[in-house]
Amino acid sequence: MGMKIYVVDNGGQWTHREWRTLRDLEVDTKIVPNTTPLKDLTKDQITGLVLSGGAPRIGLDNPLGNCAEYLEKATFPILGICAGHQFMARFYGGEVKPSIVPEFGKIDLTILKKDPLFTGVPPQSIVWESHNDEVTLLPKCFTHLAESDTCKIQAMRHKQKPFYGLQFHPEVEHTQFGEHIFRNFITICED
Amino acid sequence: MFNADKFITETIADLKTKIHGKALIAFSGGVDSTVCAALVNKAIGKDLIAVHVDTGYMRKDESKFVVKMMKQMGLNVRFVDASDEYYQALENVVDPEKKRKIIGNKFIHIFERVAKEEHIQYLVQGTIAPDWIESGGQLRDTIKSHHNVGGLPKKMHLTLIEPLRDLYKDEVRKVARALNVPVAERQPFPGPGLAIRIIGAATKERTDIVREACDIVETEIEHAVDKGQMEMPWQYFAVLIPIKTVGVHGDKRAYGYTIAIRSVQSIDAMTAAYSDIPHDVLDRISIKITNTMGAKVNRIVYDVTNKPPGTVEWE
Repeated sequence: MGMKIYVVDNGGQWTHREWRTLRDLEVDTKIVPNTTPLKDLTKDQITGLVLSGGAPRIGLDNPLGNCAEYLEKATFPILGICAGHQFMARFYGGEVKPSIVPEFGKIDLTILKKDPLFTGVPPQSIVWESHNDEVTLLPKCFTHLAESDTCKIQAMRHKQKPFYGLQFHPEVEHTQFGEHIFRNFITICED
Repeated sequence: MFNADKFITETIADLKTKIHGKALIAFSGGVDSTVCAALVNKAIGKDLIAVHVDTGYMRKDESKFVVKMMKQMGLNVRFVDASDEYYQALENVVDPEKKRKIIGNKFIHIFERVAKEEHIQYLVQGTIAPDWIESGGQLRDTIKSHHNVGGLPKKMHLTLIEPLRDLYKDEVRKVARALNVPVAERQPFPGPGLAIRIIGAATKERTDIVREACDIVETEIEHAVDKGQMEMPWQYFAVLIPIKTVGVHGDKRAYGYTIAIRSVQSIDAMTAAYSDIPHDVLDRISIKITNTMGAKVNRIVYDVTNKPPGTVEWE
């Protein structure tokens, strides 16, 4: 069966870029509103899901449509980006607060822990950011994967499930290994 | 990967089923509208009327060049010189969002006028993905209202056709190359034109200054690229900052505007990094602008902002 990864639209500027990156990697993909019920996604037999970034400050305290239902019941891998990542942290008992240093544009990322999502990505690389809020407390059931000088929790994963959260944006052109990270996520969805 | 040939075949077939009768295309002469016109022309031929509007905010000799190209493409051309109308409408308008909306609205009025005269029901626009993404709506925040999206009136008399909606600029360029369209490699130029390269009121006097400055930036950068001094930027231009500073011109006090040099690398305009322009190129641009403009401009600055946090254009 082919790869089918949908993008849940939380209102980010780069939602369509996520769709495009997946399509460029030959994935069957579609942008769906975040109000889509999980049963519609499972009916389409998707193999993975991306939770997009959001409109300003939405990650801070917004319910983010049906994202909770996906995290609670999904059996496929999920990649949360920016607001999607922040929501994932809140859902699992972590904390999200306004950033002391909001990051925009070019930032140096340091990978702290080996993980299939970062296979082939060097320990130091350039990523592109755009956020006012960030995860300040990692949920207990998550592992901390990457950081930057100005934002501690840049990447995390669930200890049991293939659920990932990224504060930076792998979907934009200027993130050095962005497409590579997407390719790794697709490989994770294949397993 | 994006397949241009497949896109062309499917789009032409789709346009044939969607358009019954005459259609008007808003033709600025950039890559998007030119590609769009070529596609629709293949679908409906002479039923397509291509309208180019000179807003008064075009670059040096641009409208002349565009109309010539339209004729070479075998299009059914209409040319409207609306510069006075635009200068008047934008008199004293400072807010960038207001500028964009007034310009967008004016475009539609002009197109509706032509459509009424010639009994046209469809309006074709070269809208691409960043235009509607950045214009916002529903969940999405408005970063800037693109004239072809945020400038549309609530009630439209024409049916809108936008065949390039899901494409980014690099994909439009692929289609342009496949269609052999002459402007495939042209740098992007915003619909509101020089009006949004002037911070504050876009008067005719300031427009003439920024037009000349844009021309110098373009010429010098293209020259440097030809000589292998730098990589070809995605977009490169001048911005007029209406702040006057003191200078000295031939033992005489000068008090003129500031011009910023903006040049960025990108593939899709959704993120951008400022270009690394060599110092001697900056030097040539600076000397040429200040020497050409006399007392009107006496300070040049270089914009070193990425997107985000900035955007490519300043407004």
